Amino acid sequence: MSEPPPAPPAPAAAPTGVIHDIGYRHYQGRRLGRGHALAALTGHSLRGVFGLGRPARAKIMPFLLAGIMMLPAAVSIAMMAILKQRGIAYPAYAGIMQAVLAVFLAAQSPGLVAPDLRFRVLPLYLSRPNSTADYVIAKLAAMAAAILLLLAVPLTTMFVGELLVDLPGPPQTSHYLAALATSVLYALLLGSIGVAIASFTPRRGLGVAAVIAVYLLSSAISGVLVGVLESVGRHTAALWAWLINPFFLVDAVQNWLFDTPSASGDGYPPGIGGPVALLAALVLIILAVTALLFRYRKAAAS
Amino acid sequence: MNAVVAGITYRAVLGRRRVLLMVLLPLLLIALALVLRWVGSADEKAAVTLMQVYAIGTMLPLLGLIAGTGTIAPEIDDGTIIHLLSKPISRPVIAVTKFVVAASMLAVFAALPTFAAGYLLLRDEAGVAAGFGVGALAGGVAYAAVFLLLGVLTRHAVTVGIIYAVVWENLVGRFVPGARDLSIQQWAQTFADQISTSGFLKSSVAMGFAVPAILVVTIGSVLWAGHRLRSLSLTGEE
Repeated sequence: MSEPPPAPPAPAAAPTGVIHDIGYRHYQGRRLGRGHALAALTGHSLRGVFGLGRPARAKIMPFLLAGIMMLPAAVSIAMMAILKQRGIAYPAYAGIMQAVLAVFLAAQSPGLVAPDLRFRVLPLYLSRPNSTADYVIAKLAAMAAAILLLLAVPLTTMFVGELLVDLPGPPQTSHYLAALATSVLYALLLGSIGVAIASFTPRRGLGVAAVIAVYLLSSAISGVLVGVLESVGRHTAALWAWLINPFFLVDAVQNWLFDTPSASGDGYPPGIGGPVALLAALVLIILAVTALLFRYRKAAAS
Repeated sequence: MNAVVAGITYRAVLGRRRVLLMVLLPLLLIALALVLRWVGSADEKAAVTLMQVYAIGTMLPLLGLIAGTGTIAPEIDDGTIIHLLSKPISRPVIAVTKFVVAASMLAVFAALPTFAAGYLLLRDEAGVAAGFGVGALAGGVAYAAVFLLLGVLTRHAVTVGIIYAVVWENLVGRFVPGARDLSIQQWAQTFADQISTSGFLKSSVAMGFAVPAILVVTIGSVLWAGHRLRSLSLTGEE
């Protein structure tokens, strides 16, 4: 901090305003544009779902749940190696682990959207080349990718294990591929429903409760109706009641497309059941995305 | 118990979107009971299934979660709890007040609709309606206390709560019989079984265990929550 020596008093009026160049540099690289912004936001959101780039406390829950998702795969490989028999079937994986997937969806989707709404930072995102639709797509893609990872990693681990153990008979490649293809539908349906519900409240706790409430309600209503309809002998109606649960809805699509055994252990409505289930899943996804677009059109203005 | 704090808490819980969820859950229970009557299977077995799977197994923990954490967690999240804590009110009194508010919500939104749905299906038959009403009340009080404590202990109260309700009580409890001893839902069913004479309801926990368990858990949770409030630190989110 060296004071410059006092200048001798100038006789004439010197210029009073001076712009100093203190070395700020403008960005002169290539402008990467909207597509790149979308990819960056998607990547950042996906990292956020697993708590990467956040403190350790944010990583506990997602990695704990991802670890629980791996447990059946590990047990299954151990069974194949030691007992020489198959454990859990590939197509039934998501159906059996549905509670864990639902908890993951509920725990992580509010974290994806709630803080931005709560701190009203959407205008900051929108001052960049991306639009509200881009924001919604990025958040949905991140959640769907996270669910897909949660399903595809254990399935693939189990398949590699099966190949390495080399059980007698051909490997169940078709079942593995069917389960992998169905995971995409699981990811899209669960991701869009979870993010859509979570986006309606800026409070994370309430968002978690709302998402899990929708899952628990659908599974409980489906369970009660199946039990009661079976007991009064309306078997076909009971098969339809399974579809109220979103996990069995997707499983019914898998059952129809790939002819895999049903995870409900009871079968699904024959004939038009499969196409109706696929249609219902697609309608649900479209409804959720539309709701999100409307929600963010409003939120961006506030 | 402090009437002003109680009034503010009631307003906070009932005045937001939270109340929509709290109304929706019991409405669905009544709707399901009506559907069961309509398909003509309003017998004792169907009623007990509805009560076990929906009323006690789903609605009660969800409402407990929303009411129990909702009375205190949003305030801690916002940091507005500091205005409450800086008043000359003893912290255990605050905890007790919040607990009373949450428990009364559960009585109104969980226990009453449970009784109403049972009554719609069976009238007074075999004491199913009264049994599950009392069971939901006892379970609701315990849930309110436990989730209130969770709300004070952690920022992730709702997530931890659903892991307890979904993974421990429903998933682990289904396969490991010992886990049912530590399940509030099972204690609620024990109360229901005690009053009801229905043959379709079999509780897996003895009354001699459930009563002290509910008392210990409820009183212990409220006391611990009060104790934690005395040294609450407000740190940033995550």
